[in-house]
Order: sequence, then structure tokens, then C-alpha cells
Amino acid sequence: MDYFANLVASGLIFGSLYGLIAIGFAVIYKTTGVVNFAQGEVMMFVLYFSWMVGTFVAAPLWLLLLIAIVVGGAFGALLERVFIRPMIGQSQFSIIMTTVGVAIVLRGLVPIFWGVESEPIDAPLKSQLYEFGPVMMLGDQIFALALFVAISAAAWAFFRFSRVGVAMRAAAHDETAALLMGINVRRLQGLSWMIASAVSGVAGVCYALIVARAPDMWQIGFQAFPAAILGGLDSPLGSAFGAVVVGIAASLSEGYIGYGLKEISGFVIIIAVLMVRPYGLFGEKELERV
Amino acid sequence: MRTGHAVETYGRLLALTTNPITWAWAGALVAALVALPWAVSGHLLVVSTTVLIATVGVVGLNVLTGTTGLISLGQSGFLAIGGYACGLLIRDLSLPTELAVPLAGLITGTLSLLIGVPSLRLKGLYLAITTLAASLIVIHIILYAEPLTGGPFGLRIPDVSFLGLRIADGRGMYYIALIVAVLTVVFVNNLMRSRSGRAWIALRDHDIAAKSMGIDLVRYKLLSFFVSSSIVGVAGALMALQLRFITADVFGLFLSIEALAMLLVGGVGSVAGAILGAAFIVLLPEIARGLLALVGWTGETGSAHVFEIRAVVTGVLIIVMLRIEPDGLIGIWRRTKRYWLQWPLSV
Repeated sequence: MDYFANLVASGLIFGSLYGLIAIGFAVIYKTTGVVNFAQGEVMMFVLYFSWMVGTFVAAPLWLLLLIAIVVGGAFGALLERVFIRPMIGQSQFSIIMTTVGVAIVLRGLVPIFWGVESEPIDAPLKSQLYEFGPVMMLGDQIFALALFVAISAAAWAFFRFSRVGVAMRAAAHDETAALLMGINVRRLQGLSWMIASAVSGVAGVCYALIVARAPDMWQIGFQAFPAAILGGLDSPLGSAFGAVVVGIAASLSEGYIGYGLKEISGFVIIIAVLMVRPYGLFGEKELERV
Repeated sequence: MRTGHAVETYGRLLALTTNPITWAWAGALVAALVALPWAVSGHLLVVSTTVLIATVGVVGLNVLTGTTGLISLGQSGFLAIGGYACGLLIRDLSLPTELAVPLAGLITGTLSLLIGVPSLRLKGLYLAITTLAASLIVIHIILYAEPLTGGPFGLRIPDVSFLGLRIADGRGMYYIALIVAVLTVVFVNNLMRSRSGRAWIALRDHDIAAKSMGIDLVRYKLLSFFVSSSIVGVAGALMALQLRFITADVFGLFLSIEALAMLLVGGVGSVAGAILGAAFIVLLPEIARGLLALVGWTGETGSAHVFEIRAVVTGVLIIVMLRIEPDGLIGIWRRTKRYWLQWPLSV
């Protein structure tokens, strides 16, 4: 039982990392209908860049987090402006492939600029050990989990209550009608990229805190895919929930069945789920007319 | 002056081309490719072989993604199945290579139906992610089914011969790849003009409309999966024969993305475009190296980060092509051709 509880806890922690990325997927998809295949790479780039800035000003953790949010927002706006906006009107395949192109460029640039060695963040949080019954958790893990819960709640509240969030939902639902109601759809789409990249920046800091920074940390973007799909790509809170499920399933399957299953258990789950519900667990079914 | 097509009989509609000049040029191209091993050797011959193998793979992918419109991110998984099937048939069952390569294709095609069945309910993005998931699962199984595949220790393929051509010999391997590539291109070009080819194009353009015109979606989607993956499986088998030592790492995710990049750069939906794209992307590092040497830059960064620079160049190229030339290289070629055919009346 102790083993089980610890596996669930470690799944929860990795699930929260997947979840932060998955929220990024969902925010962009909900507003623009584009899946950003570069989400993991954006996370990596934002983290490396803010790390560089953070080392320069000798920033403590809270400042590093703030820097990551600012850098992430700016970088997201830049990506949207330079790569995505000129592609509006092209087929979805072209836009997705543009994000794939961005992904491989970023993946190549990081080791060229910052080298291939992995480095952990030195924060006082790391050394503190907390016990919850049979479960042991480190301070940094609890910190990541708390951030994840806070950001999920904030994302839900943003789309539910704020004026901008409601406008984003309107734009996603019917772009033309939203335009006629005086909503600046282009600006909202840019904003969604900023939000998603800022959340990715937070995810990057959490990842570096729990594991380390490394030029292959983009792979967590792939782990977050099944999470976002499972919850339904157009639902940020659903994606967060999907991430928790995928994280726990990954941890349990590796703990009980076999080594290496962690990477693929999420994908096995979504193949099964998509067979039954082709739009994810919480996604809205799209109707198509001839 | 050549004019547009005015096809009067069904037979002429099915013909590969009604223009004898096209045949002459195609013949000249094949003759040049046959003569190539006398002109180049060593590294360039290996690269040429890779171009031919990539051509087979991308022409296969084009059937699924370009013609039928089902986006697949699972190319590397299908290549892996083909490569391992071919290698195991040769090593463990000692089948002749002439039999093992087509069988590897058939095995890949049959296994692809397992992914094809869920695809019937999924579209676009969800399908792309399902194929991605399938390829990750395939690689995982290969890596952990150690008694069969050798797992992380890889699979070594003995030096066998194919129609009397030895695979360890650079020239022999080149001709094997050439034969398969020519057969594939002729086969797929013919298929595109058949009932199936037109059905695929119809269901790519609008599947509900195609269904109401009497096209059986289930049948043609699965057929497209089968044909495409069989060809990709053959490409995987050729990769295995060329490398003669394969591990799961050979078939990484980057391979799937590179294959889609070839398709996009060449021009989606066209066999000629697929060939151009495959040649362009494979030759790109060679071209880049030549250009850098020309300006006398062989800096330290260049040699230490060869793979990263290659990835960056591929990525930039995908973005640039999508932005300025969505029709790909074949689009440039078609426009140029039309311009000069109608010159001086062209605009």
C-alpha cells in the first residue's frame, strides 16, 4: 500500500508538469484552433533564456519565475506575430507543420547556444522533506504541485468569469460572429499565445526545479499530448485533469508492469479513449455540414 | 503548341501519359540514374542510395497524407516495422531477399490496419496524434521485445544478395534501391489514375460528399492505409538492407517529421513532388556543406553541432516553404513550365 501511495504521489507530481504544458495546448487550441506542436520546445527555450537572465541578475526562485512568465509572454507574442499570423487562411496542416518547424528549430538552437550538459537549479526548497503518512515529498515537488493547482484554477476562472476569457471563448465558437460583436479576434489570438507560453515558462521552471534543465526536456511536451487529448483539447481544466490521469497511469504502469512504460502508457490510454470518444473526454463534438 | 487535356476514352484517362515527350524525358532520367554509379562513388553513392530509399518512403507516405488527406506522424513506426520484418525474415528464417522485402511490405501494411481502424472515426489532428502514438508504441515494443529483435543491442543483417546484387557492395545496393524506386513510382502513378486513386482524392477533398457519391469510406481509407504502409514498409526494408545494422534509435521521431518535410517541400499530393522533396531534403546537408566550404567556413561550431545545424536548417526550410511556396517545389516547376510553354503570351 505504501508503494502504491508513493507511486500515485510521484504520478501526481509528473502529472502536474504535464498539466502545465497541456493547459498551454488547450489555451491556444481553444482560441485559435491551432495545435502548437512546439509547446515543449517553447518551454525549454523560455526556461534557458530566463535562466540566462536570472543568472545574470542572481535572481532568487520567485524572481526567476517572474522572469520566466515575462520572457514566456514576450516569446509567445513573437512566435504568433512572426510565424502564425502570416499563415492565417492556410490549411490546418500547413499551420501545424509550421509549429513543427518552429519546434525543430528551437530544439536545435538550445544546444548550440547553451550546450548539452544538464544542470539542476539550486534552491533551498529542494532539501526539505515532508511526510504525509506513507508518502514522502520534497519541497520543490509540493511547490510544483501547488503552482499547477493554482494555474489550473486561474485558467478556469479566466475563461469562466473574465471579460477577455469570455471573448476568447466567443472567438473560438464563431469567429465571424465575434468579429461582428466588436471583438478584436487577432489580438485575442496573440494573447492566447502569450498566455500559453507564459504558462510553459512556469512549467519549465518547475521541471528544472524537480529534475534539471537539459536540452532534451522538450520531450515532456510529447508526454503532455495524451493529457491534452484525453481531457479534450478545447478545455483547459479538462486538460489539467487529463494530465493528472496520465501522470498517475504512467507512474503506476511503470511501477507495476514494466520499465519504460512511462513514456507510452499515456498514448495507449488515448488510443483507447479516442476509439470510444473521438473528441476526448471533455471535448465538444464538432458538427460538420456538406 | 500543347493545349489542355481533352480525353475522349476511359483508356486514355488511365494512361500514364499521353505525351511521348514525357516518356522520352522519363527514359532519359532512368538512363542517367542507371549510369550514375560510374560517375560518382564512395560517400556520394551512399547519399544517392539514400535519396532513392527516401523517395520510396515519401511516395508511400504521399498516398496516405497527400492523396487521401490522412495526416500521419507515424512514418517512423512503419519504417521500423518494415526494417525489422525484413531483417528478421532474412536472419532467422533465411528467406531469400527477393521474398523478404515484399513480405516486409505486406506485414507492415497488415499491421497498419490496426491503426487504420481507429482512423475511421478520427480526423485531422486527432488522427495525427493517434499515428504518433502508434509509432511510439511500435518503437517501444521493438526496444523491449529483446528475444525477438535484440532490443537495445540491435539487429545485424548478414551480407545477402538481391537479384544477384550484393547489399554490402555500394553499387549493388544502389541498383537494388533504384529498381524498387522505379517500380514504386510507376505503381503509384498508375494507382492515382485508377478508381482507387480518384476515390482517395474525392474523400480527401470532402469525405461526407464523397460518401454521398457512393464511395465506401471504410474500404478506401483502409485500402489507403494498407497501400501506403506497405510501400513505407518496403522503404524500411531497404533502409535495413543499406544500414545492415538497425536499432530502435534509427527510427526516431525525427524521421517522421523529416518525411512530412520532404512531402511539404516537394509539394503535397504529387508523386513528382514527393521525389523532388526527398532528393532535396536528403541532399540539403551536402549542399549546405558545399556552400560553407565555398565561403571558407569550417568553424568549430559547425563541426561540433552538425546534427543541430541540420535540424535548424530543416526547420527553417519547412517554415519558409510553407510561407512563400505552399505548393512546394513542384509548384515552382509547374509555374515555370506553364510560363515558357505559353511564352510570349504568358503573364
